[in-house]
Amino acid sequence: MAESNKRMRVEILRFDPDKDEVPRSQEYEIPVQEDWKVLDAINYIKDEVDPTVSHRWSCRMAVCGSCGMMVNGEPKLTCKTSLSDYEGSIKIEPLANFPIVRDLVVDMDGFMDKFRKVKPWIVRAKERAEDMENLSEKGTYSQSPAELATFKQFSMCINCLLCYAACPVIANEPDFIGPAAIALGHRYNLDSRDEGDRGRNEIFRGEGTVFSCSFANECSEVCPKNVDPAAAVNQAKLAAVVDWAKGLILPREGA
Amino acid sequence: MAGAAHPEAMAPPKKGPTRTAPPRMPESWWGAQRIRTYLLFGATGIVYFVAGTVVLKLAWALGTGPEAWDRALGNLSHPLYLIFHALTLVSLIFVGLRAFGTMMPKMQPRNGPLPVLAAGTVKGLFLSVWVALTVLLGLVLAGKIFP
Repeated sequence: MAESNKRMRVEILRFDPDKDEVPRSQEYEIPVQEDWKVLDAINYIKDEVDPTVSHRWSCRMAVCGSCGMMVNGEPKLTCKTSLSDYEGSIKIEPLANFPIVRDLVVDMDGFMDKFRKVKPWIVRAKERAEDMENLSEKGTYSQSPAELATFKQFSMCINCLLCYAACPVIANEPDFIGPAAIALGHRYNLDSRDEGDRGRNEIFRGEGTVFSCSFANECSEVCPKNVDPAAAVNQAKLAAVVDWAKGLILPREGA
Repeated sequence: MAGAAHPEAMAPPKKGPTRTAPPRMPESWWGAQRIRTYLLFGATGIVYFVAGTVVLKLAWALGTGPEAWDRALGNLSHPLYLIFHALTLVSLIFVGLRAFGTMMPKMQPRNGPLPVLAAGTVKGLFLSVWVALTVLLGLVLAGKIFP
């Protein structure tokens, strides 16, 4: 590693469930390189200074969504955030609004539970065998570029959960499904191959309703992939209402 | 981090074997530049609440009689009322711009028969309607139409 004269004070929120009652801050002063990302600084501390620091990371290129943390109070993908954007000192904390497992690692099970609720997969109305018979005639799950364009933006979500850390509603309404899960649920509702929109709309209208969103727009501001979850949530509101209104005048299947 | 989030925020469906620290909100979430707009947006609700009580007061005066109505109208010319009216107008314009300029372009349904318009087009349409309504109301108030 090339020598550098530049040094930086890095404050990390530490929490050891076996020792600490509450999270505490720990400061490190480290040499830094001009081209480092915030993740490089954390990795340097882990490798060279304090191996007990725990954090998640993987791809280093804003694809895996593992290294989301609070950097100076803002949710950031640390592999995408340049250290040179900060002067002198930097404060790194685990994602806000999540229970902290250890140091910079948060418990994601709450999100996974919400995520499963919106069925983030293609739902077909018919049984697989019958479905495949029909599909073989017109081509398996064929989709035009225009049909793809309707949802492609929302499929770019990497589940980094920065939107959950930024959302003021999530911080106060634990039942709210939240931006990423709604964006991905809505993504499948828009997918021409999917037939599960009615079930998802019921979930959107039910517990953890999409209407809890008060359009802070914070989720879209912090999204590193320009998914614009606020757009998805607000489109989902409209779709859920239209679906409800349709249900009043049109008979439901099986009703 | 400082402010506590809801203790159940993003809590797992089943408690795991590892003890976790409770979820926290960012230390200065309310002071972040971006969220100030959202807080201002919410704060305009106070202005509308007060404006609502003014309207109720006027309606009450209207029901009480001509003298009460004239007195209430006279009160509205007080400088404090004028300042409040200006604040209400600014609040309405701010909310209109945020709702129709930021939110409406995002809310356009993608899977219906209507085309998805560019954000600039939606804003342009909104501003056109706004200007047209303002001109129409101006003409009505000036007695040029519906005298």
